[in-house]
Amino acid sequence: MNDSGIIVDIQRFSIHDGPGIRTTVFLKGCPLNCKWCHNPEAIAYKPQLSFNQEKCLNCFACLSVCPTSTHYIKDNKHEINFSLCQLSGDCVPACPNEALSITGKINSVEQVIELILKDKDFYINSGGGVTISGGEPMTQFQFTKQILKACKDNSIHTTLDTCGHAPSEKYLEILPLVDLFLYDYKESDYDKHKEYTGVYNDLIQKNFNMLYGASAKIILRCPIVPGINDTDRHFEAICDLYKEYPKLVGIEIMPYHNIGLDKARKIGAEEKFISIDTTDKEKSRKWISTLHELGCTNIRLG
Amino acid sequence: MKDYSKELKITEVYKEYKDAHPAIKEAMCLKAEYPAYFTPLQDGDLFAGRLQQGRVGFTIDEWGPTAFAYYCQFEEIENDLKTYDYPAEEKVKIEEMLKFWETEDTSNKIRKEYPPLMAQYLFSDDWMNTSGIAFPLYRLTGSTPNFKKLLDIGIPGIYKEIEELKATAEEDRRDVKFYEGMKIAIDVLADVCLYYEKEIRLLAEISTIDEKKEELNKIADTLHIITISKPRTLREAIQLFWIYTYAADIRNYGRMDIYMGDFLVNDLNAGIIDEDEALKYLKSLWQLMADRNTVVHNRVIIGGKSRPNEANADRFALLAMEATRTVKEIEPQLSLRFYEGMNPALFEKALDVIGGGATYPILYNDDININSINNAFGFSIKEAERYFTPYGCGEFILEGRSFGTPSGVINLLKALEVTLRNGVDPVTGKVIGLQLGNFEDFHSFDDLMNAYKKQVEFFVSLLAEQEVLEYKICGEEAPFLYNSLLYDDCMAKGKGMFAGGIKYLGGTLETYGNTNTADSLTAIKELIYERKLISKKELLDVLDNNFAGYENIQLKLANAPKYGNNNEIADSMLERVHNHVCNFVRNQAERVGLHSYLVVIINNSANTLMGRSTHASADGRKAFEHMNNGNAPSGGNDKEGVTAMLNSIVKPSTAIHAGSVQNMKFSPELFFERRDIIKSLLKTYFDKGGSQAMITVLNRGDLENALVEPEKYRNLFVRVGGFSARFVELSTEVQKDILSRTLY
Ligand code: SF4
Ligand code: SF4
Repeated sequence: MNDSGIIVDIQRFSIHDGPGIRTTVFLKGCPLNCKWCHNPEAIAYKPQLSFNQEKCLNCFACLSVCPTSTHYIKDNKHEINFSLCQLSGDCVPACPNEALSITGKINSVEQVIELILKDKDFYINSGGGVTISGGEPMTQFQFTKQILKACKDNSIHTTLDTCGHAPSEKYLEILPLVDLFLYDYKESDYDKHKEYTGVYNDLIQKNFNMLYGASAKIILRCPIVPGINDTDRHFEAICDLYKEYPKLVGIEIMPYHNIGLDKARKIGAEEKFISIDTTDKEKSRKWISTLHELGCTNIRLG
Repeated sequence: MKDYSKELKITEVYKEYKDAHPAIKEAMCLKAEYPAYFTPLQDGDLFAGRLQQGRVGFTIDEWGPTAFAYYCQFEEIENDLKTYDYPAEEKVKIEEMLKFWETEDTSNKIRKEYPPLMAQYLFSDDWMNTSGIAFPLYRLTGSTPNFKKLLDIGIPGIYKEIEELKATAEEDRRDVKFYEGMKIAIDVLADVCLYYEKEIRLLAEISTIDEKKEELNKIADTLHIITISKPRTLREAIQLFWIYTYAADIRNYGRMDIYMGDFLVNDLNAGIIDEDEALKYLKSLWQLMADRNTVVHNRVIIGGKSRPNEANADRFALLAMEATRTVKEIEPQLSLRFYEGMNPALFEKALDVIGGGATYPILYNDDININSINNAFGFSIKEAERYFTPYGCGEFILEGRSFGTPSGVINLLKALEVTLRNGVDPVTGKVIGLQLGNFEDFHSFDDLMNAYKKQVEFFVSLLAEQEVLEYKICGEEAPFLYNSLLYDDCMAKGKGMFAGGIKYLGGTLETYGNTNTADSLTAIKELIYERKLISKKELLDVLDNNFAGYENIQLKLANAPKYGNNNEIADSMLERVHNHVCNFVRNQAERVGLHSYLVVIINNSANTLMGRSTHASADGRKAFEHMNNGNAPSGGNDKEGVTAMLNSIVKPSTAIHAGSVQNMKFSPELFFERRDIIKSLLKTYFDKGGSQAMITVLNRGDLENALVEPEKYRNLFVRVGGFSARFVELSTEVQKDILSRTLY
């Protein structure tokens, strides 16, 4: 039994990841590497040093406390070599301007549940609950399962936000604890899926069929990234799904936002991701109307 | 050039009756003031009653920081004398008048009576511009008499009541003169109606538009009728109500749906008017209130428990909300009382109106408040059900039965900073507080806490005594006839409300900086006493230097637990501070002889104004920046989101004070697109013990843009605590304060 896990963040009053008012727990670790990732700090399986360049005062206080050479000076400016960091955490409190932090904290199930329970009344009154997201929560399977179990023990509605890429038997095991799946549908083309996310989509489709067949409640979540998958072909594929799977609770379109890039920069990983402008409202509205025209009606912006 | 003939006349009358019975003196002064201070009907008014108050006069409320009861606006008059070239003879008269009021002005009389200790520690009346821990306020504000009685029996009924009571006064050993004064005052009221009637008939005569002529004649007819009959229609009821409130200088209007609801529904049923016409009346009334421009008053309450004819009241309440939605003014401050089981259409309509950009209605939760009032004031549940919340702050009072003017302010954060420095004010360098030892001498956190408490208690005691002194002198000065007329049990006893007539005479005290104080104490406890990360000397250095050169320590202080995040450590410290001041204040009532003496935790611009003379604090707040607002987390510190914030703010007990204000702001996106979420947030907040909510719907972008292009945002209203204001008209400091408070 793993009764602790690594958490990126816990967001209270979360109102976009499932119905009502929710608490969303973002776990660290993901088997995919989507080019447009909105939470790049949640990809790696372990904690990471995060550095906010904008806040750095170049005072070099971090240099003297660090047991490694992660922080160094170049042209009188603070520079950073993420690969050397041993995660001692010493530099974080030494920094006078909160430019440094460690992303990813070890939390016990009890700690998470304690926080979750604080807003229970809000869940009840709003038809909300708890969403486990990430990263990919299935990568910390035991931890996820225990949180979900504790939620169910407390009669709290649960939602699992998943990319679908995990062993099928694990989904079956967790199914009784999940009231709603937010299930990603990223790219309809087999090869492109591999190109953009790092994995092929057969396992994802298999799991989807399995869960659907087992009468799981599912909202399909489709990240749409301009220039990548905002194609007619992909929209048609979404509509085909819509018709083929009439019992889907709904389909949500998630327009690309470049907030992920900024977060990637802080952990020294920006070169792994695409850099394009945030989708403007007009464009995302157009996608919705395209989908409507194609006959896909139960669809909304996520 | 300001004409002083009216002020001079009133001064003459006052002189003449100076030694007469207070009721006669007051009545004669009222007669000199009215209708003289009333001003003409304006285009579009459906009811008569506008007023230009003079620089000398009589009021139960206030016309400036110390201008109340018999008042003289010294500064304004002196300015006029400097600015304008008055003829020598008139100038002498005005100067003599000033000199005369020097000793007759009620505030001056009160200050003169201060015992030495009070005079020493409450050394200034200018709380807005002076650095200090506590200040007195001079006013008798929040009066909310029994309007229902006024409208039930009208002028003739009241006249009759006075006559009857007067006839038996002597034999019952009641004060005959009190009733004589009352009679004169009622005559003045009728005179005002007749004066307006005459003026308006003249207007009607010269009007060339038939419709207008007809409308004016209707107004004149109404004015005439209410002098000889009790009101029979909504129109007559509103007209009498309005003239009365102006003459009595009552600025808050009680539970209007109770006393107007029956008139409305009777008119509708009898086909006298339709809903459109009724709405027109209300809109005109709302506009008259708005033009009164009281900034913090003009409260109208609708909804809630114990409304005798609930269906009629509901109908009026819905119409009142519609008036607020369409008139779009800062005042009246419409407020909705609600309870589990009330007609849901009212709450629904309220959210629509709030969503339409008004910050009204303000929401009051009967299911919590009635029990809180029962406990805090000791009123029975039945009585507590009659509560009303006048002015911006919303201290609970009972219509026509209780009174509790806030007559003191205390800056808790200043009390703490002075205590940390052995009585010395870091802003002025003067000793202004008790000298209870140096910070170094407080070996445990409890030592410090005890010293802080002692400091606060000392000033609270002075303020309680000051409140009683204020009432005592007011009671001697005047019976406040128009108010006593409709306040239990003044008429029956033949006594003015502050001379032993009123049933429940209480007082209130406004506390400021509560959250900053609690958060400062939390930081000190954690970082100095427990984790020993900062030394005491270091902290004082850091604060004295306003953090300059100590950014690292400021960050530590800022990162200490803060109230508003559902954090046990920080929230329990706030409760400690809250319980201490609320309970200590409450315990003063018996000692000083008031029915109740309670804290109010309000928010207006005082947190900003008093922040200007408060140095850097241990919660990380910079010197002279605004302090927290009301009961709210201090600006931007509620980082855990709205649910955490709401969980925190329901923690401090509502059963030990006279009311607190909770501002909430929501973005339009959330409010319009996720109404379901808003409703469940509010429901949960109120279920958990939330007493009140003032909701503003706006977004940060709006405000930021408004700073840059004010001309485009003139219609952007925000709530600054107890009142609404045009955002662009606020000082940059206040604007920034609003910006810093979190938007969800
Ligand atoms: S966390 Fe430790 S090892 Fe990593 S950079 Fe900071 S001080 Fe160095
Ligand atoms: S301590 Fe912080 S501010 Fe100073 S150089 Fe390091 S990262 Fe920059």
